[in-house]
Amino acid sequence: MTSNILRTAYRRRSSSILSPYQSISTFFQSSSHPQSIDKQQNHVSGFEFISKNAYGFSSVSNKRSTLSCGCCFNNTQMWFSTQTAVEPSTSDGLTVDDIVANQWTILDESESDWKSHASAVAQSIRLIKKRLKWKKLKVRLEMLSIQIEKPDLWHNPVHAGKISREHGSLMGKMKEVNGLERELIDHIDMIKLAHEEDDPDLELESVKALLRMRQSVKEKEHEALLAGEHDSCSCYIEVQAGAGGTESMDWAGMVMQMYKMWAQRHGYGVTVVDEMRGEIAGIKRATLRVDGEYAYGYAKAEVGAHRLVRISPFDSAKRRHTSFAAVAVTPILGDGSHHVQINESDLRIERYRSGGAGGQHANVTDSAVRITHIPTGITAACQNERSQHQNKASAMAVLQSRLDQREMARQAQMNAQYTQSLTDNSFGNQIRSYVLHPYRMVKDLRTNFEVSDPDSVLEGEIDDFILSFLTDSMDKENEEV
Amino acid sequence: MNLSTLTRASSLSTTITSTTLRRSITISSSSLSYTPTSTNPKTPLFLRPPIFTATLTDLQKFQNWAKTLTSSIGSSFKDSDNGPDSTILHRELNWFIEDAVENPNSLLTQSETEIGRVVKLRAELGDLYTLWKQRIEKRRPFQYVVGCEHWRDLVLSVEEGVLIPRPETELIVDLVCDVMKMNEEMKSGLWVDLGTGSGAIGIAIARVLGEFGRVIATDLSPVAVHVAQFNVKRYNLQDKVSVMQGSWFDPLSGFEGRVAGLVSNPPYIPSGHINGLQAEVGRHEPILALDGGEDGMSDLLHLCNGAEFMLKSGGFFAFETNGEDQCRFLVDHMKSVHNNSFCDLKIIPDLAGIQRFVTGIRS
Ligand SMILES: C[S@@+](CC[C@H](N)C(=O)[O-])C[C@H]1O[C@@H](n2cnc3c(N)ncnc32)[C@H](O)[C@@H]1O
Repeated sequence: MTSNILRTAYRRRSSSILSPYQSISTFFQSSSHPQSIDKQQNHVSGFEFISKNAYGFSSVSNKRSTLSCGCCFNNTQMWFSTQTAVEPSTSDGLTVDDIVANQWTILDESESDWKSHASAVAQSIRLIKKRLKWKKLKVRLEMLSIQIEKPDLWHNPVHAGKISREHGSLMGKMKEVNGLERELIDHIDMIKLAHEEDDPDLELESVKALLRMRQSVKEKEHEALLAGEHDSCSCYIEVQAGAGGTESMDWAGMVMQMYKMWAQRHGYGVTVVDEMRGEIAGIKRATLRVDGEYAYGYAKAEVGAHRLVRISPFDSAKRRHTSFAAVAVTPILGDGSHHVQINESDLRIERYRSGGAGGQHANVTDSAVRITHIPTGITAACQNERSQHQNKASAMAVLQSRLDQREMARQAQMNAQYTQSLTDNSFGNQIRSYVLHPYRMVKDLRTNFEVSDPDSVLEGEIDDFILSFLTDSMDKENEEV
Repeated sequence: MNLSTLTRASSLSTTITSTTLRRSITISSSSLSYTPTSTNPKTPLFLRPPIFTATLTDLQKFQNWAKTLTSSIGSSFKDSDNGPDSTILHRELNWFIEDAVENPNSLLTQSETEIGRVVKLRAELGDLYTLWKQRIEKRRPFQYVVGCEHWRDLVLSVEEGVLIPRPETELIVDLVCDVMKMNEEMKSGLWVDLGTGSGAIGIAIARVLGEFGRVIATDLSPVAVHVAQFNVKRYNLQDKVSVMQGSWFDPLSGFEGRVAGLVSNPPYIPSGHINGLQAEVGRHEPILALDGGEDGMSDLLHLCNGAEFMLKSGGFFAFETNGEDQCRFLVDHMKSVHNNSFCDLKIIPDLAGIQRFVTGIRS
């Protein structure tokens, strides 16, 4: 095989997406707990151990297949295997576990050192496996596969649907991780081959491709934190000002702005569905629709009360004020996965009445609609659309999301995973404190994560807060298991 | 146009949503052909080709100027004639820019370094100033300024000379949908929209009809007829909707007793109220579309009488009215004058709770 052929083949499959979270990579290193080392993994660097109770991997049980594959030179064989039977290894027998074990120094991304890239990717893959609870996932998948084989499975279609959906989803995760391992191995093979053939162009390009993988796999690390049923959904973020008049409303407006900018940073679609402005500044409440993959998974980490301490610009005496804004987040479930079937006759649909005779008498561009679900008293409103019909459809979607959320909460019996809709109670659950005076700091009260630059946070740089919370909750979950 | 062309079966797909339609048309606006006449409808702003440019800085300058002008209104329009306050006008301004700029999303994601960036516009920057001035100083309706009205899931072209469809009127289509849900046959029938204006009701009905269903939309105003035709073409409904010029039932001779559904939003404002109307309406919308005679009922009564002989047995009608008094009067009139001709007479409120529509079935 000549380098040229390899090169084209290589180009075709090495396109990767750039991660929007690159800057966060360092965060994980700082929160590691090297003192807790699992027996089976004592060859792994401390960087891996975010969780105190690290989950054991079966690197040993895979050794057999590694050996049998180590001497086999044929890469294509691995490309066609979809299952876990063969652990991929490079032409000279290196597996992903081996790479982790080698503890090659991880340098900054800007250093063009393939070993450093490879080591970083391998670490990420290990972390992803841990977050997915790999061993358990495999056991569960095996169990589901057996169930799916059963001839009487479809006697109960609801159950069967559930089983096959879960099977499909776990299978997808399994394949994705296996794909990552294979991709890493192939990159290394390619780099080594280019080196042997003395083709510096190809070598450079291959190292670059590995770097791209290093960047994109970071995002996968984060996605692995979001394994909840609805985490991949779009969502609504609702912000409500606490007591305290203009100062609180201004704060609620700042919080809303923070989420808008956060969402835009991520390339999510952002729409203000409903907004009630404060008389002088800010908002009384507002609902933001955030469209995109994992919007709910990330945003749900923001649920609770956000506290601001500053000298109020609205206080002529220049006193220090403390204000609150409550945040609720509800997922937008796909058609067919709603938890509540809305009955048309349970709805009261109203237009804000501006007074006057309406109809031909009035020229209006304002066709805000409010829908009340009479049995629960839950309401939803929308005014951002240009027709009444669209405002109604949009408000219906908000209502559906709120009712779904309520039902999920009921089913989970107030499982902490599900947020509550905005009530007075939301202000009781204080999650984060933003201090602008007398010192400057933003601190998450759940994780103790803090930064000293409130401005960047208020401009939407909240990923570190979100990820530290999600990592923390996952660790706690693992501890409980 | 005759019955045979109307009933000619056509299986043209009509299920395009307005968003895809809007997008596809934005790309190929030149393929929109209509016979150029003196009453050639104007192309809505959002459909015009983005052949003008401005720097982001200049556009922002415009935006700031317009915002200041808009804020200065406060609640003065609202206080004088229940017109829009500045909150509503600010929202209109956002939509105006949305329609005028080729890629409005790019404005959101601008960074400091991009200030010198050039954006493509669908009208000259100078025209944007003129148009927004007209909106504020002349109280020219926003929909005429941008040349369109979002109504239900449609984006309809509108211009001076044709009434801007009202949100209340959207409900007529919901009422028609309910009827069709209960009686599938209605989907294949002939529907008539009298005084169609921009074509709003007729087009919306055509989009829920079955393969064999047809709509005749009529209007006395030549401008309305042209604009309605333009909108029918935009939604590719030429085979389903025919627009005819003439007074009320005049263009419908030959269809007596064959109409499955008859809908209308005729002029219903009492003549005496015309002078006190909100500036956007009174100064800019066509009086022919608004003035319903001394008590506002002359056209409505004419339509009631016509419905009796146009509708086939089991046929449905829905009329929009000025409110509770007109609704009651019409129902009484139908019961007393046309006794036994109509059944199932109902008065239905709009979403603001005003008794707005009268519906019934031809016995
Ligand atoms: C209130 S507008 C309704 C327009 C449109 N149906 C809508 O809802 O937006 C009344 C319409 O009736 C038309 N009209 C007035 N007198 C008419 C007549 N004698 N015959 C037919 N149409 C007439 C007007 O031109 C106007 O378009």
